[in-house]
Amino acid sequence: MARNELILKNVTKRFGGLTAVDDLSFKVEDGQIYGIIGPNGAGKTTVFNCITGIYKSEEGSVNWRGEEIRGMTPYQIVDRGIVRTFQTIRLFGQMSVAENIMSGRHIKSAQKWWHGIVPTPGSLRDEKENWLKVQEQLEFFNLGEFAATPTNSLPYGIQRRVEMARAMAVEPTLLILDEPAAGLNDKETLGLVETIYKIREKGVTVLLIEHDMDMVMEITDYLTVINFGKKIAEGTPAEVQANPAVIEAYLGSEDEDDE
Amino acid sequence: MNNYQRIVFPLFVVVMAVLPTLLNPRWQAVAITFLIFSVVALSQDIVLGKAGMFNMGQALFFGMGAYITAILNYKFGWPILATIPLAILLPALFGIILAGPIVHLRGDYLLVVTIGFNIVFVQVLQNNLGGVTGGPNGIFGLDSLSLFGAKLTSQLAVYYFAFAVLLLTLWVMRNLEKSKAGRALHYLREDQLAAESIGINTRIYKVFAFGLGAGISGLAVTVYATQYAAVSPEAFEFIVSVLFFSIVLVGGSSIPGVMLGVFVMFVVPEIFREFATWRYFVFGFAMILAMILRPRGIWPATFGKIPKYLIKGGSHGA
Ligand SMILES: Nc1ncnc2c1ncn2[C@@H]1O[C@H](COP(=O)(O)OP(=O)(O)O)[C@@H](O)[C@H]1O
Ligand SMILES: [Mg+2]
Repeated sequence: MARNELILKNVTKRFGGLTAVDDLSFKVEDGQIYGIIGPNGAGKTTVFNCITGIYKSEEGSVNWRGEEIRGMTPYQIVDRGIVRTFQTIRLFGQMSVAENIMSGRHIKSAQKWWHGIVPTPGSLRDEKENWLKVQEQLEFFNLGEFAATPTNSLPYGIQRRVEMARAMAVEPTLLILDEPAAGLNDKETLGLVETIYKIREKGVTVLLIEHDMDMVMEITDYLTVINFGKKIAEGTPAEVQANPAVIEAYLGSEDEDDE
Repeated sequence: MNNYQRIVFPLFVVVMAVLPTLLNPRWQAVAITFLIFSVVALSQDIVLGKAGMFNMGQALFFGMGAYITAILNYKFGWPILATIPLAILLPALFGIILAGPIVHLRGDYLLVVTIGFNIVFVQVLQNNLGGVTGGPNGIFGLDSLSLFGAKLTSQLAVYYFAFAVLLLTLWVMRNLEKSKAGRALHYLREDQLAAESIGINTRIYKVFAFGLGAGISGLAVTVYATQYAAVSPEAFEFIVSVLFFSIVLVGGSSIPGVMLGVFVMFVVPEIFREFATWRYFVFGFAMILAMILRPRGIWPATFGKIPKYLIKGGSHGA
C-alpha cells in the first residue's frame, strides 16, 4: 500500500552557473502541514517547480507514493493528486470565478474530446455533475457571490482564494501552496489559516512556502529551512525557532528587508 | 446572452431563411459567399480566437477540402454530397498531422511555420502534383448538387446548402462552449502554464483545435466548389489566410464579431461596387483602428457562461 508520502532526495537544480536548489532532501508525511521557509531567492519556488514538473531537476529523486515523478509533465503529476498554487497568482483572468474553478474539474471529468463536437446524454450529465462540484468549492471558499465575476477584476485576497478553490476542485491528495498569505491583510490571513486547517481535515496533506513567520510557526507541523538552495535546518517550529543558524540566515535578512 | 439566445438568434435564422427569395441572382451569390466565408472564419476562430494559436495557414485546410471535393467529383465521378465526409476528414487528419510537431512553438514561430505550409501547398497545386490538381488553372466543370438523383442546379439550392452548413457549424460551436474540450482551449490561451498545472494536456487540445478547425473549413468549401463549379490555386494563397486571420482579430472571438468581420470584408464591398477595389484599403484601416481602439476586437468573446444556479443575486462585475 502506497502511503501519501513525498520524499525528495538530493535534488539539485541549476540555472546556468547558479545552483538554485542544492542537494536538497526532505520528506512530507501523510496528513502533515509542512512548511518550507528561507530568505528571498533561497530556492523555495524552484523546489516547488521541481516537484510539480515545471522544471526537471538535474539530479536527485522526487518520489510520491512510491513512484518516481521527476521528469513527468505537470498534468501527469496533477493526475497523481498533486496540485499547486502560484506565488504570483496565475488565474484565467478574463474568465469568471466559476469557470476558473471548473478548470480544476478537467481531469475528473469523463468527457472525451468528441463530446466537444457532439454531446451525448452521458456527457451532459457529466457536465452538470462537475458544475455541482464547482458549486461545492464556491461554498467552501465562500466565493458564491463572485461566481460570474471575471477574476482579473477581483481584489488580491479574493483572487488567492479562487486559486485555492481551483486547486481543491481537483480533489488533490497533496496541496502545494506558494506563499498563500503574500499580499493578504491580517484578517484575510486569519481566514486563510482556518481554511488550511479545514483542508487538512478533509485528509489533504499540505506543503507550503511562507514568508510570514508568525503564520508558519502557528500552522505547520514540521519545517525545512533553506538558504542558497541548501537545507540549513529542519524540525518542529519550536526547534527551528531556537536554531542559531536559522536566526542568523533567515531572521537576519528579514530585518534588512523591513528597513 | 439570454437576449441573444432567445431573440437575436431565432431572428437571424428567420431572416436568413427568407432572405434569398427576396434577392436577385447577383445578391444571392453574395449571400452564399457570406455564408461560406462565415463558416471558414468561425473555423479559424476555433484555432486563433479560442485556443489563441497564430495560425496563418487556414487556406491550406479549406483549399484541401475544396480540392478533395473537386478531384473526387471531376476525376472519379462521385456526387458532390458524397465527397463531404472525406472533405471534412482528410483536412482534419492533415491538420492533426501538421499541428502535432508545431503546436508547442511560440506564437510568432507558429505563424511563420503555418505560412510556410500554406506556400508549399499552393506550390503543390500549381505544379499539378500527381496529375490530379490541374496545375495553375485548377479544375473546371464540377457537377451541381444532386440529392436522390434529382439535380439541384438552382442557386437557391446552393444557398440553403450553405445555410445548413452554417447552422451545423453554429451548433458545433455551441456544443464546444459547453464542454470540457472547449473550456480547455480557453484555459490554455489564457495561461498555458496554469492550464498544465491544473491537469490539462495542452498539446492534445491544441492539436484538437487544429483538426476541428480544418475539418469545418473543409466542409465549408465543398459549398464553395459547388457554387463556382471550379477550384483553382489562387483562391487558397497565403493572403487569403491573412484575411481570415484578420477577420477574427478585428471582429473579436465571438460569433457576431466574426460574422460582422466577414460582412465588412465580403458584403460591404459589393454594396459599394465602385469602391470594390478599395476593400483592402477599407479593411486595412479597420484592422489598424480596431487593434488600437479595441484590441480584443469589435465584439469580443464573452465569458461567464456558467449555469444559472451558480449565480447569486447582484454578483456581476464586482
Ligand atoms: N527560470 C529561472 N531562470 C534563471 N534563474 C532562476 C529561474 N527561476 C529562479 N531562478 C533563480 O533561482 C534562485 C531561487 O529563486 P526562487 O526559487 O524563486 O526563490 P524563492 O522562491 O526562495 O524566493 C534565485 O536566484 C532566482 O533568481
Ligand atoms: Mg518564491
